[in-house]
Amino acid sequence: MLRVDGVTKRFAGLAAVNGVTLEVASGQVHGVIGPNGAGKTTLFNLISGFLLPDEGAIWFHGRDIARMATHRRTALGIVRTFQNIRLFGGLTVHENVLVGQHPRARPGLRSIWPTPTAADRRLRARAEELLEVFRLTDYRDRRAADLPYGVAKRLELARALAAEPALLMLDEPTAGMNASESRVIAEEILAVRDRGVTVLLVEHDMNVVMECSDQVTVLNFGEKIAAGDPATIQAAPAVRLAYLGE
Amino acid sequence: MSIYLEGVLIGIGINVLLALGFWITANTGQFSFGHAGFMAIGAYASALLTLRAGWPLFAAMLAGAVAAAVAGALVGWPALRLSVLYLAMITLAFAELVKIVFTNWSAVGGASGLAGMSGTTLPLVGGLIVVLLAYLWLVSRSRVGLAYAALREDETAARAAGLNVTAIEVGAFAQSAFVTGAAGALSGHYLLFVNPEMFGAHQSLLIILYTVFGGLQTFWGPLLGAAVLSALPEVVDFLEDWYLIAYGALFVVLMIVRPQGLLAPRPPQSAPPATSVEATPAPVAGAPAGSRDAQG
Repeated sequence: MLRVDGVTKRFAGLAAVNGVTLEVASGQVHGVIGPNGAGKTTLFNLISGFLLPDEGAIWFHGRDIARMATHRRTALGIVRTFQNIRLFGGLTVHENVLVGQHPRARPGLRSIWPTPTAADRRLRARAEELLEVFRLTDYRDRRAADLPYGVAKRLELARALAAEPALLMLDEPTAGMNASESRVIAEEILAVRDRGVTVLLVEHDMNVVMECSDQVTVLNFGEKIAAGDPATIQAAPAVRLAYLGE
Repeated sequence: MSIYLEGVLIGIGINVLLALGFWITANTGQFSFGHAGFMAIGAYASALLTLRAGWPLFAAMLAGAVAAAVAGALVGWPALRLSVLYLAMITLAFAELVKIVFTNWSAVGGASGLAGMSGTTLPLVGGLIVVLLAYLWLVSRSRVGLAYAALREDETAARAAGLNVTAIEVGAFAQSAFVTGAAGALSGHYLLFVNPEMFGAHQSLLIILYTVFGGLQTFWGPLLGAAVLSALPEVVDFLEDWYLIAYGALFVVLMIVRPQGLLAPRPPQSAPPATSVEATPAPVAGAPAGSRDAQG
């Protein structure tokens, strides 16, 4: 569904991402790993539209989206999260999820009228479902800024899924978590995949990547050094050298 | 009602419109320092239409508001894509430019301006305020209102959530300019004259003062702020020539005592929840994303 095709991004002449090609198959979890500075987040920003590539194409369902505005990519179903959680702190948990539905709700002048349309009622019911699935119902009217870390992480996932993504991009979802919390997130990622959402996972934690991913791409110094299923990757000498320093 | 009282109430009402108009863009997290420019455009456009084309005031006011909204969109489009600081500088320069253009344009009276228009009544001003409040109330309860709030909270996260940041901000800025233009039109037709000096930087600052004084959290804040600050010189006679200095002092005191403004239903930050279900350090939520977002 997603094909990154020879994409290069330079910052002040230095290639943060250099001719990277990768293909994400529908219905899979695709992990992207690499040491710090490998270009993972740059790649992530290029796919989500926060950066535009200097060279190369990004194909999504047969369309080149490399220069498309972020909100149009979101409308196509590409939705991302952030490494450092970014919630709307002053809004409630419920309101955060409602904002997440923006690409589906597409509110215009009609939405100002107090009686909701049938489509909007369905979306609002869906928001309540999401709160339940992610165990957020008890926090529904709490300000997002006041949430404990783990709950905030769940809310970020719920908000991203509220956009009904075809491709969910997670930027280090287990950053700052201990092993048992990471396991919970890993299970949630697999549950998301099982609901038919393709996941692109940028992750530092090798265990999480190996546990969740169907395919893994390894970056180092902005270049792809290996790709394959988790077992192949773990055995590849180039990866062990770059990532594990062996 | 005495003519004096009616005049005072019209003056207050126009300031309330100005504050509400300013709030529309402030509510999306964007601050303009040149709203007097939009006021001037509304005032001049409507004055020309009533004086020289014989239009009724209401139609001329709407035309002035539309002209201000178009100017708002043209100024906002480039400025809102950049940082908050750019918007401040560009709007400030824009208002000065508008003032200079009107000063040097002899067809609209140059430095002495235009005179002779009239027709602003209390029901007209009051009716507009009621319609505007109803609109703002409906918007604030809707998904559009949520989108504005999301932009104010975190523009990057809003972009990731699929909001067309530029279009929404420019839309709000144009609406803000529309209301400000309408208020400018009513102001000119209330004072019976307009000249470029009326729309200097001090006027832009007064509009900001009304809004921030009342509080930005809801539109009731600017309503209250404008009403209180513009009634003050009427009630306290000796302020007549000193009111700007008094406002300044009042503002400094307010910012020390109550920085969120007079009206603030929500506290600036609430205490962390008493029972923390997950025992992990909390402050990461909503914390500014550091440089780690930019690298990989």
